[in-house]
Amino acid sequence: MATAPTSPETAASRWFPLVVLVLVVLVLAGAAEFAPTVVQRRITQGLINLVAVVGLYVFVGNSGVLSFGNVAFMAIGAYVSALLTMPAAAKGVFLPDLPAFLANAEWPALGGALAGGAAAALVGLVAGFPLMRLSGISASIATFAILVVTYVVLGNWTSITGGQNSLMGLPIYVGLWTAAGWAVVAIVVAFLHQESRSGLLLRASREDEVAAAASGVHMVSHRLAAFVVSAFLSGIAGVLLAHFLGAVRVETFYLDLTFLIIAMLVIGGMRSLTGAVAGAIVITLLTELMRQAEVGVTVGATTIAAPGGLGDAVLALLMLLIILFRPDGIAGGREVSRPFRPAIAMPENQHRKAQ
Amino acid sequence: MRSVVDMPSSGTILADVRGLVVRYGGIAAVQGVDISIRAGEAVAIVGPNGAGKTSLLSAIAGIVRPSAGSIHIGGKPLAGFALSDVVRQGVALVPEGRNIFGSLTVLENLRLGATPRLDASVAADIDRVLSDFPILGERRDQPAGQLSGGEQQMLAIARAMLSRPRLLMLDEPSLGLAPAIVDRVYDLLRGIRSQGVSVLVVEQNAARAFAFADRACVMSHGVFTLTGTPGEIGSDAAFDSAYFGVAMAENGGPV
Amino acid sequence: MIGQAIQVLVDAVSVGGLYSLTALGIGLIFGVMRLINFAHAQLITIAGYALLVLLTPSAVLAVLGAVVAAVLLALLVERTAFRPLRGADPATLLIASFAVSFFIEKVTIMLVGSRPKGVDFLPALAGQVEIAGVRLQLLQLVTIVVSVVLLVTTTWFLKSTRLGLEMRAAAENFRMAEVLGIRANRVIATAFAISGLLAAAVACLFVAQTGLVQPRMGLQLVIIAFVGTVIGGLGSLPGAAIGGFLVGVATILLQALLPPDLRVFREAFLFVAVTVVLLFRPQGLIPARGLRERV
Repeated sequence: MATAPTSPETAASRWFPLVVLVLVVLVLAGAAEFAPTVVQRRITQGLINLVAVVGLYVFVGNSGVLSFGNVAFMAIGAYVSALLTMPAAAKGVFLPDLPAFLANAEWPALGGALAGGAAAALVGLVAGFPLMRLSGISASIATFAILVVTYVVLGNWTSITGGQNSLMGLPIYVGLWTAAGWAVVAIVVAFLHQESRSGLLLRASREDEVAAAASGVHMVSHRLAAFVVSAFLSGIAGVLLAHFLGAVRVETFYLDLTFLIIAMLVIGGMRSLTGAVAGAIVITLLTELMRQAEVGVTVGATTIAAPGGLGDAVLALLMLLIILFRPDGIAGGREVSRPFRPAIAMPENQHRKAQ
Repeated sequence: MRSVVDMPSSGTILADVRGLVVRYGGIAAVQGVDISIRAGEAVAIVGPNGAGKTSLLSAIAGIVRPSAGSIHIGGKPLAGFALSDVVRQGVALVPEGRNIFGSLTVLENLRLGATPRLDASVAADIDRVLSDFPILGERRDQPAGQLSGGEQQMLAIARAMLSRPRLLMLDEPSLGLAPAIVDRVYDLLRGIRSQGVSVLVVEQNAARAFAFADRACVMSHGVFTLTGTPGEIGSDAAFDSAYFGVAMAENGGPV
Repeated sequence: MIGQAIQVLVDAVSVGGLYSLTALGIGLIFGVMRLINFAHAQLITIAGYALLVLLTPSAVLAVLGAVVAAVLLALLVERTAFRPLRGADPATLLIASFAVSFFIEKVTIMLVGSRPKGVDFLPALAGQVEIAGVRLQLLQLVTIVVSVVLLVTTTWFLKSTRLGLEMRAAAENFRMAEVLGIRANRVIATAFAISGLLAAAVACLFVAQTGLVQPRMGLQLVIIAFVGTVIGGLGSLPGAAIGGFLVGVATILLQALLPPDLRVFREAFLFVAVTVVLLFRPQGLIPARGLRERV
């Protein structure tokens, strides 16, 4: 288990991954500034995905439990922010039966975003309180239940959410730098969490179920803490997506998005924050390339195009290959470290290989 | 700690273990063990909890892959066999805690014991087991999980014997059983031995194992510290320090 | 009034049968591999498309084709994806299964598109029969009969054949089964083949009922049936069959008894029930042995 560094030298090493990851985001956004609008939009979407992947990582990476439920938190964030920030006139059209306090609310963007994240965190807390006692497969099934229940409730609570219909007319305020700003926030929050006592204890327990069981109650509360932070960041990602697209639809927040976010985390490497960030960026670029391939290349009079849906299939295949041949993902379970120093592998890495 | 090499004097070697190392993660449970088991002999490995006895047995049974060293069964390297083929080389294991299939009937457990066999006398052998152990016969169609601990141990041994092994290995066969039942278990093992089957038994209960075995090895911290006949070991002053000394040290007592 | 009650009951039992078969297919694989096979959904889907393609020549050929397609896909998935991961930790298996399921679904969409296609499979079964003054749909009765026959056959296979015995032993304690000489590959491949067979049967019944195939047809069935597998007890084969049946019956009864406003939340109730079972009776209604520490 990592111990608190004392010398300034090790303190610098400790903060190194955070600095690098933040710089990567800023450089990416800065570069996108000079790119065509279409590319800029893709990068913005990529940064929103990054927030979602980092949100998922906070729970999955630190606890070792796979969560299918984080997209539900995205949905909650998206709907809460939408309801609080949509112009009252638009709500009158789409949601005539809304209670008065929601119907008249016209919150500022940031207030809506924070409320969205907070609502997701609150649901995470309430649902997580009983469920975090579960471990392994049972815990994953429980998070899947969170996804399905949220999907069903949001999709059928017509008076509040509009049911299966899209809610349109949201303020579109999420551009490149808003997304980049939140991406930096997400990375900082995730980093501070994993370096906190609670985060370190949770990581230590991840590989050792027996020790985790022995420390019982505490592990549950550390796991719950990670779940709530994770839910908050996922909620923010949902808010960003909603105000990027200017519309929310419950169908957006179900299995396909769950798959995309999990695939990004797995391919990047779910045991490090570096992996989460790398996965989001690499897969965003890859899907963009595949999208180009599906549009096709025009050579003279003929257009050579890949069949539609190829991108998704390739992504799924890539994820499978990663699991089979490089289970720690692109990042290999490590954080980025300073050059000319041996990279510090997480202790559980060695543990895994020995099995 | 000095390490002792076990060398049998004569006879066909059934199982031959050289320089065996077993690691779990960073922890070496077995750190260089040599042992040979001849046809028809009874060998006991004794030692305190955590000495690496179970790991050694698991390696010979093919359940864990050694990190270093070699195991040969009947002259063939074990590394070439899948776990399910080890029993086909004549090695049967009765693991600690017996591991009978509790939801399956007594009869089904016995039939599973004969898995490697293709000959026609399986049914007759099972009938003989059921009549030799009347309690199993009475309960042949009941779930084995309903048997008492002693009965489950008898079932586990009978199940292992139905594969017609040349070497029977048992991990802590007396664990959790009343003394009278342990007597019966060892009577059964003596009977098995008299049929020419080699028996390798791992025990914390050194007295029981010594009374049964031709040869004994004392294991602690992953190596053999003493080997010899039970008589030699019992009278060796080093035995106390090797066995009880370590046990005391692990319990926080003086070394 | 009584007639109506009987209709609801028959409806409930037939839907229960369908989910029972699906849950058993999922439960079999969990039993021997501790793997939640999301790809079971795609086994059902591919069987559905096999029906679509082969229906023009003959319905019998279509059913055979559905069985062959689902069994082959099950074996292929086991061999290429799950066998190399045998013994991996549960989280890895779960992710792999999720990836396999999505991969097959996306390839299906790539090949056939995502729009539903009409299949006029066994239209004769759409008719009604009158039994003792109660009008019942013939298809529902057929569904019940087929479900019962398959459940009985599977039970017979597990109870009375050598391979079935080995599968039950492997489901309880895989490692010990191997120590006794049971060959893992054979047992697991058999489990996948049976799950493919069950998936094909479910696909035939479901397509006959809905008249449609689409790439996500299996998914909706599997998500609900999975509730049954958990409620019955993960790893317990009778648990899966009974749990699936109960879930099917529950969906129909909730549909019939809940006030219309709440009907739409049916699936939410089911998944709340799953979490309650996980919390208060994690081993399910019919606990599997030797599993407690692993789930």
